[in-house]
Amino acid sequence: MGTTSVGSFFGSFLRDTLAIAAKDLRSEFRTKEALNASFAFSVVILVLFSFAFDPSSEQLQTISGGLLWLVFSFAGALILNRSFARELQNDCLDALISSPAPAGALFLGKAVANFVLLMIVELASLGVFGIFYDSRFGAQLGSIALVIALGTWGITVIGTMFSALTVNLRMREMMLPTLVYPLLIPALMAAMTLTTDLMNGTPFGKDNTIWLRVLTGFDFIYSILAVVFIDVVLIG
Amino acid sequence: MRNKLVYVLCLLAAGILCWQLYNILLNLPNEKDQGAIYRIVYFHVPAIFTGFMGFFVALGASGIYLATRNLKYDAFAAAVTEVSLTFATIVLATGMIWGRIIWGIWWTWDARLTTMLVCWLIYAGYLMLRRAIDEPTQRARLSAVVSIFGCTDILIVWKSIEWWRTQHPAPVLSVRDGGGMAPGMESPIYWNWLALMCLAAVLVMIRMRQENMAREIDSLRRMAHSY
Amino acid sequence: MIDQRNFMYMFYGFAAAWVIVTVYVGLLALRERRLRDELDRVRRIVEDSGKRS
Repeated sequence: MGTTSVGSFFGSFLRDTLAIAAKDLRSEFRTKEALNASFAFSVVILVLFSFAFDPSSEQLQTISGGLLWLVFSFAGALILNRSFARELQNDCLDALISSPAPAGALFLGKAVANFVLLMIVELASLGVFGIFYDSRFGAQLGSIALVIALGTWGITVIGTMFSALTVNLRMREMMLPTLVYPLLIPALMAAMTLTTDLMNGTPFGKDNTIWLRVLTGFDFIYSILAVVFIDVVLIG
Repeated sequence: MRNKLVYVLCLLAAGILCWQLYNILLNLPNEKDQGAIYRIVYFHVPAIFTGFMGFFVALGASGIYLATRNLKYDAFAAAVTEVSLTFATIVLATGMIWGRIIWGIWWTWDARLTTMLVCWLIYAGYLMLRRAIDEPTQRARLSAVVSIFGCTDILIVWKSIEWWRTQHPAPVLSVRDGGGMAPGMESPIYWNWLALMCLAAVLVMIRMRQENMAREIDSLRRMAHSY
Repeated sequence: MIDQRNFMYMFYGFAAAWVIVTVYVGLLALRERRLRDELDRVRRIVEDSGKRS
């Protein structure tokens, strides 16, 4: 009897999470506003960076990871900002909060949707990066994909959490980056170092497993903290 | 009673600082490489201890606020964070001056300076968030969550840079590493730390009194509007 | 006697720390005055409306 109720709790939690994720993704794919804006922004940043650095130089090899993650985090902010803000019209946020779905499911649903959207923009940007900067990353593709997924989840978790936190503030667009970027520093440090190493052909080794551990630790800790505190942030 | 405590702590802090200043300038032996500038460690390190401690104290106060919903703890967390931001600024400023003289560079990404910078950015964001929210309960609730996330972040940054730097040692702003300090040279750090803690306590008490005044103004305003 | 190398810079370092503390104390004092004025003003308003009603 006990296991069925725990099982059914997780079952309904998962169902709610997926329902909210599907709702967000469906509404985004209908208009593709945020996706287009985010991708356009990332292309613009990549173009601007090509004026800052000589694209064919040695120097680029050492900063490629950093460059890429700067593009990902700036473009991602556009998507994350909208995440809860789009629910403000017509009191949709109140409706979602007062629905039977737990706040944790609401948060995870939005986080999953944001993750998917961010990954789409990032993969597209990665392609553009490869073209503009003549980068070859076929050799370590699996590892790079892993690092990008982990790093993106870190950005998504913090970004979605603070999107919920700042949703009712009058200076939302300013407060979200101000709060989110300092918190993302360890995850971005790890992702940048790992990506640079991988793009230069160095596989996961003694030197950079530390950063892999930092990244996974970051994701794990903040996923839990976010689900625990989302109630406080959204409801009170 | 409170005012007397403030004065006592002030005098204690001033006394210890003057005594240690005399000690630092006149009694201590000279360090062989750096000249007089190494004596800046006697402000730099105590400020680091005080600044970081403030973070954890604010974390505790935020946690207690979320558990009890008593706005007093929120006021305490805000006061401690603001005072700790001042000490973090001192750490960064003295660290930069020291680094500029010793290595010729204003900045280096060693574990302590980087962690302090991230600390500073998170504290500053916390205080900016508080200014952006007018409603007291919402402000307390949201800033408590930011405080908790921020403190966790500092621990992650600190640990990760420490792990990394043990593999790739970089210049460290300390006279302690590699050789250790002569015994007479360490005690001023701890005495100055005590003095800075007294100073921090005084500033926090003054700041808290201001938070209480602000809350009284809020409630009086509400009363005035209800007439 | 104290080492004379880098003596001025040590002084700058100490000065930086104390300037920061002084600036913060100054900001606190300013805020205190502003809060006190506001508190007196609101107290007066409450007393006046209390007397009127």
